[in-house]
Amino acid sequence: MDVIIQAIINGLLTGSYYGLAALGLTLIFGVIKVINFAHGSMLMVGMFAAYWIVKLTGWHPYAALIMVVPMLFFFGYALQGVLIKPVLEAQREVREPTEVIVVTTGVWYILDNLALMLFGAEYRVVPTSMSGQIFMLGDYIFPKAQLYGFITTVVTSGLLLWFLKYTKMGKSIRAASLDRDAASLMGINQYRVYNIAFGIGAAIAGIVGCVLIPFYYVFPTVGVVFDVKCFIIVVLGGLGSIPGALIGGAIVGLIESIFAQYIASTWTELIVYVVFLAVLFIRPAGLFGEKRDW
Amino acid sequence: MALLEINNVSKHFGGLKAVDQVSISIEKGQIYGLIGPNGAGKSTLFNCVAGYYGPTIGTITYNGEDITGLKPWNICKKRIARTFQIVKPFQTKTVLYNAMVGAYIRTANPSEAEDRAMEVLKKFNLADKWNKASGNLTIADRKRLEIARAMATEPEMFLMDESMAGLRPNEVDETLDEIRKIRDSGVTIFMIEHIMRAIMSVSDKITVIQFGKKIMDGTPQEVAKDERVIKAYLGESYGAA
Amino acid sequence: MNSGSKRKTIDTILKIVLAVIVFTLPLWITSPTYLQILIFLLLFAYLTTSWNLVGGFAGVLPLGHSAYVGIGAYTSTVLWITWGLSPWLGMWVGGIFAAIVGTIIGIPTLKLRGAYFALSTMAFGEGVRVLVENVMHLGPCIIGGPQGICLPLVPGNNFTLFQFVSKVPYYYIILVMLCIAVFITWYVSRIRPGYYLAAGGEEPEAAQALGVNVAKYKVWAMALSCFMTALGGTFLAQLTLYFYPKQILGLDFSFELAFIALIGGRGTIAGPVIGALLLRPVSEFTRIYLSSVLPGLHLVIFGAILILVMLFQPRGLVEPLTRFYDWILDKLSGEKKEVKA
Repeated sequence: MDVIIQAIINGLLTGSYYGLAALGLTLIFGVIKVINFAHGSMLMVGMFAAYWIVKLTGWHPYAALIMVVPMLFFFGYALQGVLIKPVLEAQREVREPTEVIVVTTGVWYILDNLALMLFGAEYRVVPTSMSGQIFMLGDYIFPKAQLYGFITTVVTSGLLLWFLKYTKMGKSIRAASLDRDAASLMGINQYRVYNIAFGIGAAIAGIVGCVLIPFYYVFPTVGVVFDVKCFIIVVLGGLGSIPGALIGGAIVGLIESIFAQYIASTWTELIVYVVFLAVLFIRPAGLFGEKRDW
Repeated sequence: MALLEINNVSKHFGGLKAVDQVSISIEKGQIYGLIGPNGAGKSTLFNCVAGYYGPTIGTITYNGEDITGLKPWNICKKRIARTFQIVKPFQTKTVLYNAMVGAYIRTANPSEAEDRAMEVLKKFNLADKWNKASGNLTIADRKRLEIARAMATEPEMFLMDESMAGLRPNEVDETLDEIRKIRDSGVTIFMIEHIMRAIMSVSDKITVIQFGKKIMDGTPQEVAKDERVIKAYLGESYGAA
Repeated sequence: MNSGSKRKTIDTILKIVLAVIVFTLPLWITSPTYLQILIFLLLFAYLTTSWNLVGGFAGVLPLGHSAYVGIGAYTSTVLWITWGLSPWLGMWVGGIFAAIVGTIIGIPTLKLRGAYFALSTMAFGEGVRVLVENVMHLGPCIIGGPQGICLPLVPGNNFTLFQFVSKVPYYYIILVMLCIAVFITWYVSRIRPGYYLAAGGEEPEAAQALGVNVAKYKVWAMALSCFMTALGGTFLAQLTLYFYPKQILGLDFSFELAFIALIGGRGTIAGPVIGALLLRPVSEFTRIYLSSVLPGLHLVIFGAILILVMLFQPRGLVEPLTRFYDWILDKLSGEKKEVKA
């Protein structure tokens, strides 16, 4: 029984940063309706940015947020504005242009391999004050860094929800996600909204980077691990749904950690894919998504 | 026996009754109009007949056969064709290609399909543009192609959804002529239209719908004078006049 | 006056010369390394042409097609190693198996919209990879898990067992396969299923109203595509005599097939071939010459090409290249291309 509870704890902690990673993606996928295959790479960029800042300045990773978040925001903003916007404009008629998928894949290949060329393939780790520290609650272990990650996830989601519900830009983003053209007829600059949504998605990836470096290896292809997982989470939870991303993340985290008690972890990957396909067939809108003609 | 019978059809979307107990009877050879204020449920009713979705309650009979809930492609195989309010040409393909897709329902042979498609295009004055990409046509030509393409399926009944929306007056007249020609060639027409003079001048009989319910049906003259119809379109204050 | 006939003659001559060159290539390129590169080029052209039946004509984006390459490779290889069945026969078994799997997976997934379909194919592809990586044996058959399968070397040239010492027979086999695949694509595009597929891919609702059961044709295309792809898998197994899940069932492989088609021009007949012609050499040469110096550079270049093509020629390079070819013909013959009246 104890083992299960510890597995649940681990699953929720892991699930929280999966969910955080998926948060940016659900925003981008939900608003701009594009599959951003460069999402994992943005995560990688966030992680490397955090890594270098911490390594060179000795700051606490959470302090590095001050630099990483704006950096990634502008990066995402620029990416959307320069590369994705022209494709979207050209394909205005199409609801979900596949060209964007190709462009984001190109970005993914470029980012990952530039990182490979510049930094080499080694797995890096930077020691922080939090690495390896744990809290104990009764017999149960809570790794400090991951616990902080959990809290960060909750805070970030709360902020994002507040932003989308109460600020003008947030409402514009929600409007644009429902109907591109209607929103622009209402005076919302569609593409500016997209740029900002992308920027926010990238900024969140930056936050994830800072959260992960105390306990995760940093290497050029780290994004690939997260990429597929994040898409699965986004679909599970429902496109554009923030609670959905968090719950989806928790589900994936729990599946991995609980099943890992009984079967080899290589099989848990398969279970996640099977669950994903089952959700797609049975309820493509996901747990919290809106029913559309998917 | 009527060609198409819509029997007490209702369509509910959750709590919303988009179509509420509507019955319509269309005779062979008629041009039958369906009018009503925006949001009255006209397209929903069309979609029920065309198989896009099935009615919640009620049945639809065609030639004595129950076609309720059949899928759109099977409806087409039964010789009921439809056009869309917002035209959907296969934009990257030529005009001829578009028409051939329609013709292919009656034959699997490519050269036969091509011949029949060309014939239809000739009837609709699109033959000289056969090689143009349909995405590059003017809106009037696109609407014409939409009709021609559907006619290539050799239907007995034609559901036309606002085929004249957005056309200039002379284009409307041209389309009306085409509609008459289609009827004269033996096709029964069931049409939704907002352009009053158009639908009034060409229909044999009209049903008026408001809030999903049928308010009345009758000849264009009867409909134009009917108080309920006037109220529905122009508001209560005009009712007494 | 015979206008246009000089142009047509030159056109025909150029095409005949090209065909002769392609069919006699092994006579003058004798280096096994270069032949291998050409064989891979043809193989990718073949696989992408097969992919194109779904990804181009049906208008959806499958990103997990390597699963079917793998099914072909594993089926024929396992059947041979365990029971001695000739790979030529095993090839067909693999093809049919792949078609069945493709149909089963296709029926629920082809109903999904664009992005969701793409994701589902990725999940399926990765699922198959993980599954195979976890299986060492299946009854009497060796599957090999993550290490994959190494085919026993058969000495000499053995046609029945599909192994040859020199690369030349492989070249001709894949060339013939490619020609057949291109022919099938061309034929399908001219008959009713091709029209229905294209219509269903562009405007499914309009197609349905015109009598097209869009889902049925998409599944049909999927089955055909998976069948053909699996045949290519057997060829790959016999060519390299070694394959393993991460390579033959990998996401990279799936993506490469999709991108070759997208860059060449999906939905066209020549697109996949042209895409392979342009991208494979880039991939191979940067890998050979640059990977020790700058690992991953070829993927950076690949990525850049993807982006540039999508920004400037999203329908693929077939169109501009066709225009270029027409221009050359104009210059050589002194005549302009006839515009159909």
